Amino acid sequence: MPEVAIRRGAAPALAVEGLTYSYPRAAAPALLDVSLEVAPGEFALLAGRSASGKSTLLRAACGLVPHFHGGEVDGRVTVAGLDAIAAGPGELAAAVGYLAQDPETQVVSTTVAAEIELPLEMRGDGPGDRARAVEEVALALAIPHLLGRAVDTLSGGELQRVALAAALVTRPRLVLLDEPTSQLDPVSGDELIWLLRRLNEEWGVAVVLAEHRLERCLAAADRVVAVEAGRVGFDGVPGDFLAWTREADPTLTTPAARLFSRAGIEPLPVGVREARQILGERAGGGPGAATAVPHPGKGTSGEVAPPSRLSFRRIRGEDPKALEAKGLWVELDDGSGPRDVLRGIDLAVAPGERVALMGRNGAGKSTLLRTAVGLVAAAAGRVAAERMALLTQNPGDFLVRERVGDELPDDSGLDALRAVGLDGAIDADPRDLSGGERQRLALAITLAGRLDGDGIPGLVALDEPTRGMDRGRKDDLVALIDRLATRGAAVVVATHDVEFAAEFAARVVLLGDGVVIADGPSADILSGGWYFATEVARVLDLPGVVTPEHGAIHLGAAASEFPGVYDPASSEARRGGA
Amino acid sequence: MRSPFAYIPRRGPLQAARPGAAVAYLGSLVVVAFLYSNPVVLLAAGGAACLAGRLAGARTAVRAALRMGLGLALLIVVVNALVVDRGETVLARLGHLPLLGQVDVTLEAIVAGVSIGLRAAVTMVAFGVYSACVDPDRVLRALRPVAARSALTATLVSRLVPVAAADAGRLRDAAQLRGPGAAAVGRGPLARRLLAGSLDRAVDVAATLELRGYSLSGSRGARRREPSRHDGRFYAVAAAVLAAAITGKALGADDFHTYPTIHIGLGPATLAVCAVVLASGLAPWRRGGRRA
Repeated sequence: MPEVAIRRGAAPALAVEGLTYSYPRAAAPALLDVSLEVAPGEFALLAGRSASGKSTLLRAACGLVPHFHGGEVDGRVTVAGLDAIAAGPGELAAAVGYLAQDPETQVVSTTVAAEIELPLEMRGDGPGDRARAVEEVALALAIPHLLGRAVDTLSGGELQRVALAAALVTRPRLVLLDEPTSQLDPVSGDELIWLLRRLNEEWGVAVVLAEHRLERCLAAADRVVAVEAGRVGFDGVPGDFLAWTREADPTLTTPAARLFSRAGIEPLPVGVREARQILGERAGGGPGAATAVPHPGKGTSGEVAPPSRLSFRRIRGEDPKALEAKGLWVELDDGSGPRDVLRGIDLAVAPGERVALMGRNGAGKSTLLRTAVGLVAAAAGRVAAERMALLTQNPGDFLVRERVGDELPDDSGLDALRAVGLDGAIDADPRDLSGGERQRLALAITLAGRLDGDGIPGLVALDEPTRGMDRGRKDDLVALIDRLATRGAAVVVATHDVEFAAEFAARVVLLGDGVVIADGPSADILSGGWYFATEVARVLDLPGVVTPEHGAIHLGAAASEFPGVYDPASSEARRGGA
Repeated sequence: MRSPFAYIPRRGPLQAARPGAAVAYLGSLVVVAFLYSNPVVLLAAGGAACLAGRLAGARTAVRAALRMGLGLALLIVVVNALVVDRGETVLARLGHLPLLGQVDVTLEAIVAGVSIGLRAAVTMVAFGVYSACVDPDRVLRALRPVAARSALTATLVSRLVPVAAADAGRLRDAAQLRGPGAAAVGRGPLARRLLAGSLDRAVDVAATLELRGYSLSGSRGARRREPSRHDGRFYAVAAAVLAAAITGKALGADDFHTYPTIHIGLGPATLAVCAVVLASGLAPWRRGGRRA
């Protein structure tokens, strides 16, 4: 961890004292007697399950709660010396920047330059100051090439950076971010986190970041605040947080910490670098010893077996296929002219297969699924899918009625509800269901009438289903996918979430700029690179080892081979010799 | 999918000009369209708007506006032919139709419809070019000091339109993706869902505006007068077009009537106005840059 200028003792960037808040007409408070302080220059991570109160706490810190949302508030929130409850978001705008999940609703101007300049103009800054501030923040965030662009031509990652630039341009003392990486691919997500760290170090901005994918950002944080049912459950350094999660809430822990826990290794690591250092020291390399960096594109030795609990079998020509694309080309126009989004895709998926479709934002994952289901026309080639149900990124788009039974009125609807385990909720109002249940209901809506006589769907496709999900809900989704695939349905999931892919998929298809750049067992693909690799794979750098459970077995094996240690050097040597 | 009328930042003179200059220029063509009925002058105004759009790089917007404008013009021609029975050149006797009564289609009614339709088409093309070439942020910035609430509303609407369009596209997709056993979704429930979603979106966008400090009134003195060397050109062309149009009108350049028979004046005054109006379409032309 680099040295950071956290100015403890100085007036805090954020001080929350005894904050209790209830949204209008809410049955229970969203925040209950929350107290915490964030020092200037500190990087604090807010952890917690979905609906635990993280977002509400961020909204209170920027004045949206209670000014914008109403409700009842008690306690005190101070931001850079300003009383946030009395002042409101407008007056706090110069002291605090806020970035929410959905970048689409966070831009209010037509062009990037105008969007970044707006807060300065509102503050009354002169033209010269504005021009300089816009230029500097654009350089800091590596977006000067976007300044002349219209905001509706930007990708999700670009839009997120522009929104961040608008939040930072006033040089606020505090930046609040609510799951800013939830819509980003691993590459963009990592870039954003390290960009925040750099700004935190170089500009001295205090950062409060709420995230579910803690493995992405725990190593960058100085401190973790865990929120549980509206209360602060833990407040301390990342290493202690991991120890706390073991007893208090194991769903909040990271894959590397799970790996170490299972292998009985202490202390639990906050990131890949620390994990490799600990393993290196245990191997006798002394303090600071780290293993070699992973090398992308490495071959598998076949020495590490079995790869995972999920079996992979390559499809042969005569096998039945739930999805088949041959020489598929798709052209789309996003406003900047027509572009080949898919370029000669060949792909076959067999019934019962679990496939993760991965790749950067804009690689063509969603387009492939949309073309297979018939929403988008192919420019050349062909694609065929058997009884395909596609659940798009926003399950709420499927819910238009006020009773589950009204969405699915006949027997085929009941069969679909049974297939997703929601047949007991037929009289419920979809709005009263939990996030996971709403997702399953939306899936049932797409499945209704597409099940065969035994209630088995042909192909179930999910597009980014884990956005904003905590690990508990992801585990439920993995169980559902297991159930569908075990019964014979092919399941294809477009996802950025490598840890989720390692949990559910037997096969990973990696797309890059509209072509398939890798296709194979998930254990191989997810252990073969820097970005599209799980945290465990990056720690151990062993071919085919991607999950904590599997990694712990290998650490155990290494421990018995080399008493008490895992020896990365030996691992390298063995792979080299294989 | 972006709207063909969405603003695209470019380096052309029309885009660089201040909103007032661009509005004066394109507005002068609309004034001509409303001042004149002579189809030749209207065609010249339409040609000038198309030429201006092409030179400004807004080809897609011009094409889309032409499609819509000519479609609207055709509708006007048909309706006018059916509801107006004046004129001596009867082309068809359609007999007695419900609601319309006795319907005789006359050449004069069709030409009168063409004149009105052209006026609508010119307006649409000029608006299309404005929409694609004039930065709405600059328009709103100019509007903010004089009408803060209107500017806020316009900002919200201008952001919500593309967001709502994207939401509508997603809801349509979701409706298509429903299984055959799920209850079908008609337009009514879809519209209700879109409206409910739009309200949530409006709250999100309004929250963002609030966080950007929109409720603070930045000092007027801080407003930037964004320099443009093209403003003078557009103001001058607009003035020339208006002067020619008004003078021409006074000199009988709008010599056109359709009843009882058709007469389209093509005198020197009309041709002179046409020439000035058409030439005004060259205003966004940009000479090639000089090499250093």
